[in-house]
Amino acid sequence: MVYKFSLTDPRYRGRSIFAIFNYAFLILLMACMLLPVIKVLADSFNADTIYGFNLIPTTPTLDGYAYVLARGGSEYLRAFGISVLTTIMGTFLGLLLSTIGAYILIQREMPGNKFFGYMFLFTMMFNAGTIPLFLVIKAIGLYNSLWAVIFPLSMNVYNLVLMRSFFEQLPSALFEAAEIDGCTPIGTFFRIVLPLSKAALASIGLFFAVAMWSEYVHYVIYISDTSKYNFQVKLRTLVIDDTFTLDSNFNASLNTVKNAAIIICILPFIFIYPFCQKYFMTGVTMGAVKE
Amino acid sequence: MKKNILTKAATVAVALLIVSGLSACGSSKNHVALTEDGKPESISVMATTILTENNGHAEFCAEYERLTGIKLSIEKPEHNQYYEKVGITFAAEEPADVIELGSTYYPSYAAEGVLWDMTDAWESSDLKASGIVNEKYVEGMRCDSEYAEDRIYGFPNQRGNGTVTYARKDWMDALGIDTPTSYEEFVDMLRAFKTIGDCDVVDSNGVSFKDKYKGQTVYPLTVSGLISTESPYEIYLREFYQDARPDFHYDEDQGKYVDGVLEPEMEAALVRIKDAWDEGLIDPQAVSNKTSTCRDKFQSGIVGCFNYWAGTWNRTLDKNLKQKDPTAEMIPLPSFDPEKEYYIERPAVAYVITNFCEHPEEVFENFILYSHDDGEGELLFTRGVEGVHYEVTERDADGNIVSAVALPTMADANTDFEKSFYDAALTITTYKDPIEVDERIVNSLAVFDEYSILYDMPIMDSTVAEQLPDVETAKQQLLTNIVIEKMSVEEALQTYSDATEKQREIILGVLNGSDE
Amino acid sequence: MSQPVQKGNYDHIIVKKPPIGDRIKRYGWFYLMFAPVVIVLFIFYYAPMYGISFAFYNYKPNGKEPEFVGLANFQKLFTDPTFWSSFKNTLIISTVNLILATVTSVVVALLLNEVQKAIVKKVMNTVLYLPHFLSWVVVASIFMLLLQPNGLLSNILYSLHVIDADALAQTDWLTQKKWWRFFFYVINRWKEIGWGTVIYIAALSGISLDYYEAAEIDGANRWQQTLNITLPSISNTILVVFILNLARVMNIFESVFVLYNSAVYSVADVIGTYTYRVGLKPTVGLPNYGYSTTIGIFKSIVSLILVMVTDEISKRVRGYGLV
Repeated sequence: MVYKFSLTDPRYRGRSIFAIFNYAFLILLMACMLLPVIKVLADSFNADTIYGFNLIPTTPTLDGYAYVLARGGSEYLRAFGISVLTTIMGTFLGLLLSTIGAYILIQREMPGNKFFGYMFLFTMMFNAGTIPLFLVIKAIGLYNSLWAVIFPLSMNVYNLVLMRSFFEQLPSALFEAAEIDGCTPIGTFFRIVLPLSKAALASIGLFFAVAMWSEYVHYVIYISDTSKYNFQVKLRTLVIDDTFTLDSNFNASLNTVKNAAIIICILPFIFIYPFCQKYFMTGVTMGAVKE
Repeated sequence: MKKNILTKAATVAVALLIVSGLSACGSSKNHVALTEDGKPESISVMATTILTENNGHAEFCAEYERLTGIKLSIEKPEHNQYYEKVGITFAAEEPADVIELGSTYYPSYAAEGVLWDMTDAWESSDLKASGIVNEKYVEGMRCDSEYAEDRIYGFPNQRGNGTVTYARKDWMDALGIDTPTSYEEFVDMLRAFKTIGDCDVVDSNGVSFKDKYKGQTVYPLTVSGLISTESPYEIYLREFYQDARPDFHYDEDQGKYVDGVLEPEMEAALVRIKDAWDEGLIDPQAVSNKTSTCRDKFQSGIVGCFNYWAGTWNRTLDKNLKQKDPTAEMIPLPSFDPEKEYYIERPAVAYVITNFCEHPEEVFENFILYSHDDGEGELLFTRGVEGVHYEVTERDADGNIVSAVALPTMADANTDFEKSFYDAALTITTYKDPIEVDERIVNSLAVFDEYSILYDMPIMDSTVAEQLPDVETAKQQLLTNIVIEKMSVEEALQTYSDATEKQREIILGVLNGSDE
Repeated sequence: MSQPVQKGNYDHIIVKKPPIGDRIKRYGWFYLMFAPVVIVLFIFYYAPMYGISFAFYNYKPNGKEPEFVGLANFQKLFTDPTFWSSFKNTLIISTVNLILATVTSVVVALLLNEVQKAIVKKVMNTVLYLPHFLSWVVVASIFMLLLQPNGLLSNILYSLHVIDADALAQTDWLTQKKWWRFFFYVINRWKEIGWGTVIYIAALSGISLDYYEAAEIDGANRWQQTLNITLPSISNTILVVFILNLARVMNIFESVFVLYNSAVYSVADVIGTYTYRVGLKPTVGLPNYGYSTTIGIFKSIVSLILVMVTDEISKRVRGYGLV
């Protein structure tokens, strides 16, 4: 697919004009997206409480960040660590459960396959709410354990069904070939399905990671020991809790601190997405299937 | 077929779980033994407005155990999910012995009959006899339950506190305005505030107000919602509501319960609000403002009047305001009618003992009353632990603390520790705080004290409670119909009256029926 | 159970099935692999399902035996006029939002796909998905600034002579019944447009370059390629995502909660916000878990119907559905 940018060559003119409009549109869209984020960023460096759309700090300061790091000290560091730990574990477990589940669901001849499909879908629509889950978690001894957060979140039917729709795109010839070569189902899963689904693993892994990272309610309800809370809970408390007062030598208002905390929380995802995109490069999946 | 077998198996499994789940609802008390001197071995507490775990939780419990010999376990769920968590612990039948409940939840739980009746224990207590406690606040906790009327099920932790109207003193000075002494003067002040951007007077830094507010919108008065979403509904726009009480209350003159919204006082209040709104004296974003939006506006210096919490918030608002504009000044306004106490003191937050507690009398004595003893207990429950949260600077000959200073919190070396359980400035006893408090906090509390009236516990009959949310929605719409939809006051009141007819009949039926 | 002959790329499906015993034996390994998934699903999803029976009880957190009330909770729900108005709003707001979400995210994903430079693409992607990480509270406070009286929008409209000076000073756009939903959709798109593209971009990367090369040889231009290769290739993903999201439309809450106010209840109040006001966060009385479970069941049944209908349409049109 050779294409080069040229307005004079009639072969490329149409696409080149389109490219200009496309870039213009996307850049405009990006600007719309960025402005509010920049406002949060600017406010995080501004010692004043600002009511308005200022994009440049009136009283620049770094104390918002200093405060988040100092106030938390070991507390925030620990919460951050818990966030990282649960995100990694939850993403891994989530991907494991949803790839296995999806792999079973594409076995259309497997007896019970349809039943399993409905069994998953049913839980997407019907759930009994917080209290029964609380009692179950308590009964199996997971109350106040991080597993009470990780397990329920890593069994995600939405992601599982999405994963299945990716697996369905894999050519059936592959599975047949693998079976003829004497691969066990588990062997096929690890040697064929997973390596060919990098884009799916990257995107759904990102979904899991974001869900784990941003989790709030499960911590608050199923964990009583506040030293096991993640960074998101600490952040929410900071952003929403009106009751705490900031009376200190820091040159910062409550708003500065809140905005700084928001930025710190977003930061990891600015770096994670480009990493995921490595696996989104066109043609990766199917390249391996050429016969 | 396989599918049928699995379906059946799943059905049986679910059915079994239903049975086992429901049969698990047997009642049992938390088992705690008593020590030889009649104290419980341990007490569990669930509370939210208390010291955080990293601020010396463990030291607090250790000090309490040293002083009383009782093991203390405190759970402090996150603020936003606190009442959800309280509900869950009741549902799981394992609530803590002592629980903190706000003024809408306290009478609700009391009405259900799950709280221990502490009336007799209080009335026969040494503490009551000693006269240390201001009984007004304890008596204010009386409410009805399923089993008994007018009993005390919760002890106030500190005074309920409430809001005062803060005004920009520097604006008043620049515009030559004195403290308003009537509603007309108050409205005139708002009118003048609206023109602050035209004022040529210079502040102490030599900047004129005209330059300071060039190109900015200023708000004479900001508020989040023209009527509060919970009782007391009329808490924020005090100057406008005045004697109107837009809730179901007992009217002395008529000798029965009435819906205050349909009383003439409310109509007058609505006219005042409508006129001020139409004149542009109230923040036009009042309907969609969140409380935090209002604070941001006030703290960024563009608001003249803002009704908000007395006490600690005065200091916070002032600090942030001065950060933006060092010449800015704010003061709590006194009531413009010295005869009328028009700020509202909310019912206090309650510490209750649940019926699941095995030794309620002992817990009451050793935890709740102990924390209001005007002595070592109260010091611990307000100022925390010596050497951890505060340091003594002077003792008298008997070794009693004369003065002390708060130490920085363990989490943040630059913030002084404020309170462990209760705010010393809001004590309900004769307690004298040894630590000097910020002048701004003292000042706004003094104004609030002078001009405030203590409200009763909201009525929490379960039939009434079921009808109230619809009435609350209608109240919100009454105000938006007037200011946004531009209905006349009579028309809007008629709409409200029509929309709530059914609910009103039920509620007033219950209230007036039960009272005769 | 009989199964229609599958179309599309389901050619691997064998229509005539061998005896069930053989098939179970053949898939023995799969059942073993599947066991952990089923165990987790049962413990955390099916075990708590007994709680659905709460709908037939008056169940308050008061430590007392729940009182069996039969269908009283349902009766209470169905006779409440405010509930039906919030149900209508939920369907409208949520469905329109979902359709807009699908269209905008697919379009943006396709446009991003046309960007040739990898680094530019990465940067754009990242920027577009950032707003997703701002919480709704923060997003609402930012947009309230833009939509307030004398705010950015009002000033632009004023300078274009669309509104007069009075309206400039007084119009709070989020309190306008006529406009509230419009702004709600715009703000939702702003926040989630980039996040919505993630899955499509992943799906786009799965399309074989061979197809495009063949099309190029056949003389198809880029637009034709998009219509004939790109869209059909990701249509399965679009459909799956759409149906999955449809299953969740009844759960809309936080975005409405932070943006609505008492002036727009009649157009903005959804089931989530309504139940929050009347029961789940009681400003009065204790929460009745029985009643909230009843509302939950109602929402589940509506979702079920929505999903089943869409699934059926998908089966008729495309030959296969979600399961």
